[in-house]
Amino acid sequence: MNSKPTVLNIDSVTKDFGGLRAVDDVSFKIRQGEIVGLIGPNGAGKTTLFNIISGYYPPTKGKIVFKGNNISGLSPFKLAKLGIGRTFQIVKPFAGLTVLENVMVASLLRYPKKKEAEEHSWKILEFTGLADRAYMQAAGLTLAGRKRLEISKALALEPSLLLLDEVVAGLNPAEAAKTVELIFKLKEDEGITILIVEHIMRVIMSISDRIVVLNYGRKIAEGKPEAIAQDPIVIQAYLGEED
Amino acid sequence: MHRKILIFGVIFVIALATIPLLVHDTFYLRVITEAIMWIGLAITWDVIAGYTGYLNFGHGAFFGIGAYTTAILMMRAHWPFGLALIAGGLASGLTAAFIGAPTLRLRGAYFAIATWALARALQQLALVLNFTGGPDGMRLPPFLNPEFFFYAMLTVVVITFAGLWILLEFAPFGLKLKAIREDEAGAMALGLNPTSLKIQSFVLSALPTGIIGGVYAYWITYIDPASVLGDLVTDQAVVMAVFGGLGTLVGPAIGAVLLFAFKTYFWAYLSDYQVLYLIILGAVIALSVVFLPDGLWGTILKYKSSKSPMPLRNDTGETK
Repeated sequence: MNSKPTVLNIDSVTKDFGGLRAVDDVSFKIRQGEIVGLIGPNGAGKTTLFNIISGYYPPTKGKIVFKGNNISGLSPFKLAKLGIGRTFQIVKPFAGLTVLENVMVASLLRYPKKKEAEEHSWKILEFTGLADRAYMQAAGLTLAGRKRLEISKALALEPSLLLLDEVVAGLNPAEAAKTVELIFKLKEDEGITILIVEHIMRVIMSISDRIVVLNYGRKIAEGKPEAIAQDPIVIQAYLGEED
Repeated sequence: MHRKILIFGVIFVIALATIPLLVHDTFYLRVITEAIMWIGLAITWDVIAGYTGYLNFGHGAFFGIGAYTTAILMMRAHWPFGLALIAGGLASGLTAAFIGAPTLRLRGAYFAIATWALARALQQLALVLNFTGGPDGMRLPPFLNPEFFFYAMLTVVVITFAGLWILLEFAPFGLKLKAIREDEAGAMALGLNPTSLKIQSFVLSALPTGIIGGVYAYWITYIDPASVLGDLVTDQAVVMAVFGGLGTLVGPAIGAVLLFAFKTYFWAYLSDYQVLYLIILGAVIALSVVFLPDGLWGTILKYKSSKSPMPLRNDTGETK
């Protein structure tokens, strides 16, 4: 179906928190240049899986292979160096620093000289549309601005794989449309592979090449958006069982 | 912007260096020397507390380690002052790495508690050990040359200030520390190793503090556990930095000068009310936290930046 090389291979990953199994034997692959949507009802384990992929939790079982290397259990800063960028559902701006400084912190990874990091940050801010707010304190940004800043920081790492955790939810329709456009640009212009968690079905259906559905920590479906929208198991997971 | 600061700094240091030519009164020279010392203690405390966001309640321990190491090496091993001083700085830096490695992995109050405990433990240790002189402390060979100590203190503090300025304001290191202060988990996703950076910051804070302690010991010629390992060294450095403005170098320096001037005036003219000094110190910290949360300098910077228009795209200088 797709001959492009596999960028990320999630291989039977399980995560237990005490007696709670948050992610249960989940496997799927992401190929280069794809946008894969990860959906599921609240508490399905989407963010936990994100945190495992980006190194915040080690998996209890299973492994994660990124471009042929087993990366399970590596710390987030090592993964950032390898080329995995992520955003946080609960945004994490460096509130006391300016927008430019926020992005510079990330740019320093590839451009260790301050001057070059600053140049690179300006390019990122122009790309994401935050350049006019560069000298503003990050604390003063609106929610839409902060979500955009999250993407800017992840992009400044020059990642080959980008993990986006609910970057659209909470935005008004105009802002949401702009962010969706930005995500398409990332795929088309920059060739970045993307795994995206999103609650807004309209967005995820239009943006994804493939969708993986989680429920109670298990993968219950995987396929093209049209197929997922028709899948009775998925509909049942979201709407509940009929008597 | 940086050139302007450099020129201003050089003129300022030259002005300070001419003080002994103008001030012949030993008392005043001594007061100025001590004021410079407090600038050094306040800015070094601010490296870990203000820039990195970890409260160190045992800063005085590093001052004491430097003082005792210098004294012991000079008196018991007959090392020359310069070498003993460097050893004092290294001993402080090593202790910081040793204490920081386990405690700086954790977020929260652990570090504050651990540093406080370190200071108390070292004070007790100096009281019971033989080679530290126990409660009697140690006497160093008297070298009664106020000008020498003025220049020694000035050199150490100016090098410290300049070094910290380059690392924290000019190089990317300071930005990385601030990112960790603002959000550690977020900083980690951007490729920063927080534990390693925090330990570097702590060593950077402790090493010059030890050297300052060594100069102090030889200057004052007498140290004991209460004077160099007591609470007061830390407490005063903390109040000076908080009052002046955390996360800057200029703020704590201003705080140090103002509070030390106040202290000197108070002890010289109102010594009957000595007990009031600590009460006033406590009130100053409480009031500045409530009414000047950014400190004196931070408040001035905020006021200035709210008055001036946004800098232009090509103005690549510091905006803070």
